[in-house]
Amino acid sequence: MTSELKMSASDQNHAPESLHTPADNTTHFGYKTIDKDDKVSMVAGVFHSVAKQYDIMNDLMSFGVHRLWKRFTIDASGVRPGNKVLDLAGGTGDLTAKFSQLVGKQGNVVLADINSSMLNVGRDKLRDKGLVQNIDYVQANAQYLPFEDNTFDIVTIAFGLRNVTDKEMALRSIYRVLKPGGRLLVLEFSKPEHELVNKAYDFYSFNILPKMGELVAKDGESYQYLAESIRMHPDQETLKAMLDNAGFEQTTYKNLTGGVVALHKGYKF
Amino acid sequence: MSISSAKLSTKLLLPQTLAASLEALINKILALESANASFDKLANKTLTLMLAELGFGLSFTVVEPSAINHYKLLVTSLTEHADCTINTSLKTLRELKAEQQLTDLIKQDKLDLSGDIKIAQQFAHIVQQLDIDWQSELAHHIGDIPTHKLVQLAKNISAKVGFATTQIQADASEYIVHEQRLVVTKGQIEHFSHQVTEVAQQVSDLDVRVNHLFQSLNPPVN
Repeated sequence: MTSELKMSASDQNHAPESLHTPADNTTHFGYKTIDKDDKVSMVAGVFHSVAKQYDIMNDLMSFGVHRLWKRFTIDASGVRPGNKVLDLAGGTGDLTAKFSQLVGKQGNVVLADINSSMLNVGRDKLRDKGLVQNIDYVQANAQYLPFEDNTFDIVTIAFGLRNVTDKEMALRSIYRVLKPGGRLLVLEFSKPEHELVNKAYDFYSFNILPKMGELVAKDGESYQYLAESIRMHPDQETLKAMLDNAGFEQTTYKNLTGGVVALHKGYKF
Repeated sequence: MSISSAKLSTKLLLPQTLAASLEALINKILALESANASFDKLANKTLTLMLAELGFGLSFTVVEPSAINHYKLLVTSLTEHADCTINTSLKTLRELKAEQQLTDLIKQDKLDLSGDIKIAQQFAHIVQQLDIDWQSELAHHIGDIPTHKLVQLAKNISAKVGFATTQIQADASEYIVHEQRLVVTKGQIEHFSHQVTEVAQQVSDLDVRVNHLFQSLNPPVN
């Protein structure tokens, strides 16, 4: 079961080297190494806990910039009227809302999330906005997508991939459901380009962010996990290589806000 | 726009910031009762504006109304799909106040349009038709008397700023032209131009006389 690594307080901002290469049947949950089978339920616990305060916390934590990162993703997607879009780990539906308006009546957007609480919050939010005509909701694990081969023109996964237990498997699953000519866009926290930004970001993530979580969402631990999971997520080049290995072509990435976030893009041909 | 400024605008997320601000502002205006904008013929249509000064495009997509919403505009910097694309500059865009001007500006090579011109004309028509009673809208929020006072204050400030601007321009012109004599006056330029014209005329007369003298001294041999 869960085997927590012992770290001194000063070490807590830095991921130990050993954590980068877990054994085959283990994976990461923040800085902890756990059984692969346990990750889904542990991540689910985090998101069940924060679902209702998710949007407000996103605005607070990113000072609203997450909205611009998501707009950048939509602008990079090349979405057209009539397209079929899968918003994977779509959470509270920010991307789905825009995609739904851009694909029109002829198109379709599937908002998929493994977490029922997040899906419920997303569905309520979109319905309150009057967005009902072309959106389907599916509770799904990114590793085992319940869709036919070659179904979607675009798949996006925003701030979700780092929570997936087996990222390679998820990328292969996404590749399978994309149509030839379709593209995947991965918006995810990454490694800041400059050391100074990196240090300021570390301080913010490990000292301020959990306190904000404690204050607003009454759950500091989940936001400690958020900070740790960001550090454990593959950096820009590693994720690009993972996309290549999954079969994606013309893979590129763009750093946003100094590399705090990166948008990876890959095509299936 | 150079490649480095395009990269900078991407790094600073300028297209997204501008699109988000415009979208919020436009939809606030369209939601006003007095806006009365009709998008019936533009549902799901996209107009893309490529402005030379910006270095990136802005697309305006009309989103069909739902059960609880009016027509909305979605602003993005997606340029892959557009029903009509206009390449122009901000300066020309300001000139575009009437839909009839579209063809004039195309003829003058100030504006390049591809796609369905009717889309651009309908967008221009909506902008032209927008007649928002800002005083009435403000009165809904803060009441009639504060609105009246605020508008009077704004008019007074505007008149004073206008007077001050004219006065500063006149004083500056007086100082530069008459006191410092840094530039010449319009009258001086006209006088100089008149003198140049007179000299040109005298030179021309002299040229005629010289030619005449040459001809009289050396008569043509038959």
